[in-house]
Amino acid sequence: MLRLILRRLASAVLVLLLASIVIFTVISVSGDPLAELRDRQPPVPESVIAAEEARLGLNDPLPVRYLTWLSGVVTGNFGPSTIANRDIGAELGTRVGVTLRLVLLAIVLALVLSLIAGTVSALHQRRWPDLLMTPAAFVLLALPSFWLAVLLKQWGIGLNNLTGYQLFYTVGEASVPRPEGFALVADIGGHLVLPTIVLALVHFATWSRYQRTAVAEALAADHVRFAVLKGLTRRRIIRSYVVRPALIPIVTIVALDLPVVFSGAVITETVFQWRGMGGFLLESIALRDTNAVLAWLLVAATAVVVFNLLADILYGLVDPRVRYAKS
Amino acid sequence: MAVTVRRFLRHKVGMVALGVLLIVILAAIIVPPLWPYDYTDITPQLSQAPSVQHPMGTDTLGRDLFALVLRGMQQSLLIAFSVTIIACIIGVVLGVTAGYFGSFIDATVMRAVDLVLTLPTLALAAFLGSLVTGRGVSWLGLAMVLGSLMWTSVARLVRGVVLSLRELAFVDAARVMGASPTRIMFRHLVPNVSDHIVVAGTLMFGVAILAESSLSFLGFGVQPPDTSLGLLVANAQSAVLTRPWLFYFPGLLIITIVLSVNYVGEGLRDAFNPKSSPTNPLATTRRRSRNRKPQMRDAANHAVLKVTDLSVRFGPLEAVNSISLEIQPGEVVALVGESGSGKSLTGLSLVGLLPSSAVGTGSVVFAGEELSGLAFEQWRKYRGRRIAMILQDPSTTLNPVLTVGAQFEDSMKLDSGGVSRAEARRRAVELMESVAIKDAEARLDQYPHQLSGGMRQRIAIALAMVHDPDLIIADEPTTALDVTVQAHVMATLAVARERTGAAMLFITHDLALVAGIADRVAVMHQGVIVEESDVFSIFDNPQADYTKRLLSLAPRITGKAVEKP
Repeated sequence: MLRLILRRLASAVLVLLLASIVIFTVISVSGDPLAELRDRQPPVPESVIAAEEARLGLNDPLPVRYLTWLSGVVTGNFGPSTIANRDIGAELGTRVGVTLRLVLLAIVLALVLSLIAGTVSALHQRRWPDLLMTPAAFVLLALPSFWLAVLLKQWGIGLNNLTGYQLFYTVGEASVPRPEGFALVADIGGHLVLPTIVLALVHFATWSRYQRTAVAEALAADHVRFAVLKGLTRRRIIRSYVVRPALIPIVTIVALDLPVVFSGAVITETVFQWRGMGGFLLESIALRDTNAVLAWLLVAATAVVVFNLLADILYGLVDPRVRYAKS
Repeated sequence: MAVTVRRFLRHKVGMVALGVLLIVILAAIIVPPLWPYDYTDITPQLSQAPSVQHPMGTDTLGRDLFALVLRGMQQSLLIAFSVTIIACIIGVVLGVTAGYFGSFIDATVMRAVDLVLTLPTLALAAFLGSLVTGRGVSWLGLAMVLGSLMWTSVARLVRGVVLSLRELAFVDAARVMGASPTRIMFRHLVPNVSDHIVVAGTLMFGVAILAESSLSFLGFGVQPPDTSLGLLVANAQSAVLTRPWLFYFPGLLIITIVLSVNYVGEGLRDAFNPKSSPTNPLATTRRRSRNRKPQMRDAANHAVLKVTDLSVRFGPLEAVNSISLEIQPGEVVALVGESGSGKSLTGLSLVGLLPSSAVGTGSVVFAGEELSGLAFEQWRKYRGRRIAMILQDPSTTLNPVLTVGAQFEDSMKLDSGGVSRAEARRRAVELMESVAIKDAEARLDQYPHQLSGGMRQRIAIALAMVHDPDLIIADEPTTALDVTVQAHVMATLAVARERTGAAMLFITHDLALVAGIADRVAVMHQGVIVEESDVFSIFDNPQADYTKRLLSLAPRITGKAVEKP
């Protein structure tokens, strides 16, 4: 098991390194951080542009720039921003936590719900809970997350206006000014409600479908038939012979879907006006702050790689075939 | 191909969805030139609710929402279509190249797939989208950005199929005849993946619509004054409560389009690859008609199993045609027949596990009790305790995520309480030693995948012996094993039968195996028992033509059987 973890860890670092090269190349080649400066009317003096170029290190060849950038990143310095006094690392640092709590909560919620719904659906294929849940999942799959987010937000506002109470928090990740102590936890929790529902529902649709397929396949497996023939109770068969083997695919799916969850978080945060990673990304893109975009992508990629690592380890726990794999 | 089309035409939901999709696409193409308002026209009617003149109302600038929505649909559909084409081309080329050449190229492509999958595509697309749209590049630039980020699923799919096709004879034949790799890939391999590509492409179209509208919603896709469905929703964000039409119409349209695309994809998938009806051994087979005959409990008949007029039907197709069979206590009856003769279905219907699409009729009486029409809980009185079954493929009969010991324990604790864990282990070791498994104690803590096929089948036999059943049904227990292992398993079966004193129904296609173990043989052909007699008469003096043919196909084996004492 330890060797498995070490091997996965090594390959995770490699993937991350490769990802950094690709991200850096794509972003540096395609985006000119000074485009806005060059286009300004009346024209900015050449000397100013040259000074900016020198400050951002744009004159060096690409590999040199990459190495400078990478060595900076390792020490926590994400490079100079196009905005004079912006500290990319510090600003992103405060925002990662905000996004992470939304993403983690949504993943847990979506995973638990889809495990239950998918399993129930598969156990009653083409009978009533399934006949309701399958079309529901299809509709949810077709629902654009931004539309759902705006809908819930505005309904929340409408409900607040109607009752005269603050039933739902619809703006930001916490109240301003922030309350103290336990009230802060409750406040943050309250702000999480609607965005989490949006993000969880969108992924619930996909994952419950995968879980349904996995359980349906497990049901058709020989070892379930054999368990039935052994005379085991229905409960025991469902728990240990149907659901447990079916947990293996869902772990992979969730890990693979993580970048999509991040994309969804960007949209959700935008609608609910959170000061999280989503807002940071969109601002940076609008400002042509290439180093900030790079930092964002790197953080997201790191999160994905770490989650995949966790999934691999989890995989080993669920599936003895992986735990005892040779080589 | 024609079959596939016909299957799709019969897929109701898929056809309805296709109809909706066609209407939407046609509307987006045909209606705009005919509609009195252009999407740029500004009318004096500001923020009007839907009316006859403006079926979807107007926005705050007085533009007709219907005209805007039509324009938005054009943009969204055009971009999504181009994205799908671009992504499919990249995916197919990379996938087929990786699958065909393998090794280094394959590894490179797959790393690239991993990389793209590691990145949140929306972020990259937003960045690149802001560049192309900032320079006034229209839909094509956007489509290229999205397409270059969405090819991974197609590439994986194509690579997977090509990898499995690569070694097949027709590819070798083309290679020998001097076809170039390019020709082999695109003339021989791609057509074989086309059904997968069509399904994946359809589903991708839906994803592309969602991606484009998300991007436009965030402001990095289609730019004003042009419009798209995502942009319309973005502009209506604060209008949900005051001017709801501005928000609901474009949103519901996106949902309608994506929903119908997904259902068309589902329909296509079913048409290319018809789903078998769901298997659920936990469900009670309800359709089994219960025309129980009055039970004749004559004392003279001590048969363990008495099957009368058993038929199994799949729709109009009669797979088992009114067969009757009796097994006496301790007797071994072999049911022999080629594949498709209905012998395995007979075995399954004896234990109440017919596939849900099959309908069984007739009577199965086990030790004087009627078995047909039992519910799951009633079956548990028989399954495992009095009737045990051994399945064909030992690589799949054991639960892959439980240790061997746990599976024995499950069998021994059929009722809550029961034996202690230590007692269960002791008995499991004993049973495993009786089927000649060495190191039984250590094996208990292993998982099935750590054992060989022969060993797994012997464990399955040991599991069948746990409750000393009266009847063991063995369905082709040695077919999946190689010849040397077969002999061991057959010996084990004989041991199991002796120790438990059970009667046995031995289902096989292999006459050679029958000679060594059976007391009586029933030969089955096309759902009917064509001949039934004791094992010696079958070999010495076969009556039915089919039996004679079976024997003539295996002359060496006949000779051997005759020499047997």
